[in-house]
Amino acid sequence: MLIDVAVKTACALLAQLVGLLVLNHAGYAVASALHLPLPGNLVGMLLLLALLVTGALPLRWIEGSAALLTRHLAFFFIPITVGLIGFADLFLETGPAILMTLVLSAAAGICVVGLSAQMLGGRRRRRSP
Amino acid sequence: MSGLVTVFGLAVTVGSYALSRAVARRYPSPLTTPVFFSTALILLVLVSSGVHVADYEPAKRILVFLLGPATVSLAVPLYKNRQTLLRHALPALLGLGVGSLVTLGAAVVLARVLGLPEVIRVSISIKSVTAPIAVELAPILQGNPSLTAAFVIATGMIGTMLGPWLMTVMGIHDPLSRGLALGTISHGQGTAQAVTEGELQGAAAGIAMSLAAVFTSCVAPFVVPILK
Repeated sequence: MLIDVAVKTACALLAQLVGLLVLNHAGYAVASALHLPLPGNLVGMLLLLALLVTGALPLRWIEGSAALLTRHLAFFFIPITVGLIGFADLFLETGPAILMTLVLSAAAGICVVGLSAQMLGGRRRRRSP
Repeated sequence: MSGLVTVFGLAVTVGSYALSRAVARRYPSPLTTPVFFSTALILLVLVSSGVHVADYEPAKRILVFLLGPATVSLAVPLYKNRQTLLRHALPALLGLGVGSLVTLGAAVVLARVLGLPEVIRVSISIKSVTAPIAVELAPILQGNPSLTAAFVIATGMIGTMLGPWLMTVMGIHDPLSRGLALGTISHGQGTAQAVTEGELQGAAAGIAMSLAAVFTSCVAPFVVPILK
């Protein structure tokens, strides 16, 4: 009984994963066919969004796998950061400059997004009764 | 033999990730974030077991293959939060658009002023784009995916540590705006932080993370070659 449920859940998750893989490949196909300078996986994400918004694909058909993958998103790029070892010398040499660039550009971005959204939102709220 | 090394690489990655999650739950700190902690642990295991980092390549390919469907899944939080987006379309879109441009421009110009080489200037420009999209965008811009991944993760940590304090100092108290700023600049890690501030902050950050990635992917191929 318990095993039955587990097998069913596993099969459902696997089928959903295949669906997401198909959408991902479709994204790459669309991007290259239309010569879009966009990552194929991003186009795949927009395709899925379009399917959900138009109601062509009910959310529950892919929700299980999607939730599992987004929850563990960090896991999938760990192997990429392992590749950083090849840049060890570069980091030792330019570490402070890189850190300064990252901190200042992040701070500037946070202030601009926060202040502009707050200003625009405030004006909108004052106008509405 | 090489198959065995691949299985070993996968096992080490899964093990490190599981361990890092357990450690992060008990001792939450920037140093115990899963990506940072796991990367350090994997390198330690590979080096001490005499496996060359190049032999880790097949395991890496298998996991990066799954990054695609994981990115496609990001449409789900966007879809679920569409009401929040429609209700606040103007401040949300304008805020995240201008902010994405500012942070991209500031990063490239600062990197240039500080004399960093071109591969870093390009790879650092998209450090606010969520990692799975950024590592795909990097080669399009002739940047390096590994460098970009490091800058993305570092930016996630910096924004999460610095952002809430900085916004309070700057008088940004509106919950929607705080969420948007965290999601736009610090993507997934910022969104996780925004969720702890409240539901609206979390929803706004989720929207900002996905849309800022779309926006930056569209403008970076035109803006980065000019600035670099």
